[in-house]
Amino acid sequence: MPSSDSEDFESADEGQEENDKKVRKKRTSSSNYGDNALETISEPKETIKSSARHQTDSKPKSDGWDDFDIDCPIENEKVVENKEMKKCNVSKSKEDIKSQDTGWDDFDDWGNEETLIKTTEQKQQEVKSDKDIKELTDKLAASTVQSSSWGWGWGVDSLLSSATAGITSITSQVSQGISNVLETGIGAPDPEELARKNLKATAEVTEKHPDRNVNDDKEVVKEAAQTSSDDVSFPFGSLLSGVTKFVETTGTKVIAGGLDTLETIGKKTMEVLQDGDPGLAKKRAMLGLDPGEKPVLSQILREAKAKADEEDKIREEKREAKEVHYENLFDDFEGLVHLEALEMLSKQVSMRIEERLRAADPEKKQDIKETMQQVIELCEIPEDEDDEETSEDQSKPDAFHEKLQIATQDLGLKLQFQSLVKQYTDILDFLSSNDSMNEKVIYKRAVSSLAQATALSVEIYHKTAEMLLVKTRRSTADEADALTQMTVVLTKHISELATLFTVKLNSIASGNKDQINNYITNIFLESGNSSTYIQNAFQLTLPILQIGAV
Amino acid sequence: MVDPIFDYQFRLILIGDSTVGKSSLLKYFTEGKFAELSDPTVGVDFFARIIEVQDGTRIKLQLWDTAGQERFRSITKSYYRNSVGALLVYDVCNRSSFEHIPLWMMEAKRHIEPHRPVFALVGCKIDLVGTDNKNGARREVSCEEARMFAEENGLHHVETSAKTGLNVEEAFVLVAQEVYNRIQTGEYKVEDGWDGIKTGFNRPNGMDFNLLEAETVQSTCC
Repeated sequence: MPSSDSEDFESADEGQEENDKKVRKKRTSSSNYGDNALETISEPKETIKSSARHQTDSKPKSDGWDDFDIDCPIENEKVVENKEMKKCNVSKSKEDIKSQDTGWDDFDDWGNEETLIKTTEQKQQEVKSDKDIKELTDKLAASTVQSSSWGWGWGVDSLLSSATAGITSITSQVSQGISNVLETGIGAPDPEELARKNLKATAEVTEKHPDRNVNDDKEVVKEAAQTSSDDVSFPFGSLLSGVTKFVETTGTKVIAGGLDTLETIGKKTMEVLQDGDPGLAKKRAMLGLDPGEKPVLSQILREAKAKADEEDKIREEKREAKEVHYENLFDDFEGLVHLEALEMLSKQVSMRIEERLRAADPEKKQDIKETMQQVIELCEIPEDEDDEETSEDQSKPDAFHEKLQIATQDLGLKLQFQSLVKQYTDILDFLSSNDSMNEKVIYKRAVSSLAQATALSVEIYHKTAEMLLVKTRRSTADEADALTQMTVVLTKHISELATLFTVKLNSIASGNKDQINNYITNIFLESGNSSTYIQNAFQLTLPILQIGAV
Repeated sequence: MVDPIFDYQFRLILIGDSTVGKSSLLKYFTEGKFAELSDPTVGVDFFARIIEVQDGTRIKLQLWDTAGQERFRSITKSYYRNSVGALLVYDVCNRSSFEHIPLWMMEAKRHIEPHRPVFALVGCKIDLVGTDNKNGARREVSCEEARMFAEENGLHHVETSAKTGLNVEEAFVLVAQEVYNRIQTGEYKVEDGWDGIKTGFNRPNGMDFNLLEAETVQSTCC
C-alpha cells in the first residue's frame, strides 16, 4: 500500500502538471521553467479568490504549485519579472482555481486508491482530447518531478522532525500533513504575498482584489481546499494509463534526486510567504536568511560551534598524528629528499652505463655485464654473523662510531658520522635519565629517533655516492665491500635503537599495558621500515659502484 | 619543529660559484645563525623552512644547496630538474663570481626545461663592503650593474648579508611570492612527475566540510 500511495500521489500531481503544461504553452512557449515558476507565482492569488467558481476548463488549470516551490530560491528581483507575465496571466488566473483544487483534493485523497483511479481515468480522457498528447506526456516526465516533490515538500515540511522513519510511515503521514497544511492555512502562502512584495507588478492584480490582505489568506485557502475536495471527481481524466510509465520512471528519479532540494525550496517559500512583513521578507531573502528558521538559529549556531570545535580537534589530531608519523618525520629530517637526490644520481649513472653498454662491441659488452654482476654479488648482505664484541672501556656511541669507521676505511672517502653518533648519545641520555616519562613521550621519541637515524643514514649513502662519483681513482671491490659492511652496521644500529626504546617502554610499571604493547609493535614496525629505507639507499648506490668498474 | 601544516611546497635551488656564500645564506635563512667557517658543500645539501606569502598561504620552501666546486658540476646539474625557482648567487666582492652568473643561468634554464623557473639574482657578503682595509675585501660588483643585468634578464635582484641578516628573508620571500603568483595566474601547476611544486599537508577544512554537506542532502531523501 505505501508504495502505491506514493505513486498515486505523483500521478495525481501529474494531472495538474499536465494542465499546467497546457497553460504554459499558451502563454509563452519559449519561457523556460524558471520563468514559468515566477510568473505562476502571481497566478494562484487569483486562483484562490476565484476558487468559488469552479470553472471546468482544463487548460488554465495550471495551479502553479509546482512552479511555486521552484520559485522560492529565486531572488526577489526575479519576482519583478513576473509583473509582465502576470498581466497576461491575470485573465487566465481566474480559471486557475481549478488547478489548485485538484491538486489539494488529490492530496487529501491520495491514500484512497479508488478515488485516484477515478480521477486518473478522467485525466486520461482529458488528455485524449488534447491533440498534443504525446508532447505533453513527454514534458510531463520532467514536470512531474517538480510537482510531485512539491507535495512531498508540504508533507515533509510539517513532519520533518518525525519523518525519520521509513517511507511507509512517511507516506501515511504525508497525507495527514497535507490536510494539516490545508487547515492551518499553510497553503495560504499564496502568491498574494509575493505579489505584495512586488507592488508594481501587483498593481493590476490588486485592483482586482483590493479587499484581500494577508490575514485573509488562511481562510481563503481553507475555502479553496474545501471546494477542491468537493471537486474530487472532477477533472483528472484517465490520464493514468498514458502516464503511468512516466510516473514510474520519473517517480524514482524524483525520490532519488530532486525531492530534498525541492523540499528545502518549498519550506523556504512557505516561510517567506507566511511572514507578515513583505519588506522584511524581501530583505531576508536578499540576505539569504531564512526567516522561518529563526527559532532554529540558536541551534545552527550551536552546530556551527560544534563543527568548529570538531575542526580544531581534527586539526590538532592531524598535527599530533604528524608528530608521530614516521614518513613525515623522515621527510622533516631531510631523509626523503636525500633519498630522492640519490635516486636522481642513480638513474643518471644507470643511463650512462646503458650508453656505454650500447656503444661497446659484443665482447666488451659481455665483460661489462659480468663485472656488473660481480659488483652486485659483492654487495650481498652477509648472513648475520653475530659478532658482538663490545669492549667494555668504550661507550656505546664510541663503539658504534668505531665500527662505522672500520667498515668504511677502504672506501677511501672522508665520511662524516658525527651526526649519527651524536644522535645515539642523545638517545642514550634520554633513556637513562631518571625523569618519569609516560609511554607516549617515549613512543614519540622512539619513532622520531628511528626516522632521524634513518634519514642520517640515507644522507650518508647519498654523500658517499656523490663523493664516489667525483673520486679520481676507483677501487670497486673495496668500495662494495665497505658499503656492504656499513649497511650491516647501520641496520644493526636501527634494531638496537628499537630494542632500547621497547625495553624502556616495558620497564614502565604504571600505564596502559595494551597501549604500551601497541607502541612496541609500532616501534618494531618502524624499525623494519627504517631498515628497508637503508637497504633501498644501498641498492641505489649500486650503479655508482658499478660505473667505477666499467 | 616547524608547524607541519603548509599549503604548498616549492623547491628552490641555489647555484653560483664556490665560496660565494650559498650555504651561509641558507643557514641564516633557516636557522638564523651565521658561521664564520664552514666546510665546502659536498654535492648538495638540503634546508627547509615554511614561510607565508601575502595572502597568508603557507609555503614550505625546500632548498637545495648545491656545491659550487667545479668537480661537483656534473653531479649538481642532475639536481636542477625539479626546481621551480633558482637563486643565482654571487659575491659582491668577487667580480668573477658575478661574471659567471650568465653561465649559471643558462645551465639552469637548460636543465630545468621544459619548465621555466623563477630566477633571482642574489648578491652576498654586503657586510664586507667598506671593510676593505681590514680584510682586503672591496665591492667589485656595483649594485647598479647587477640591477641592470637583472632587469635585462627579467630577474629580481637583491643584495644580502648572511652575517647581519640583511635582506636574507626578502630574497627567499621574493621568489616564493613570484612562484605563488604564477600559480595563481595558472602559469604553474602541480604536475605529476615534477616536484617543483607540490601541495602540502592539508588544512582540515575543505574535505570535511564537503562531506558534511553531502550527508545533509542525502539524509533528507526518504
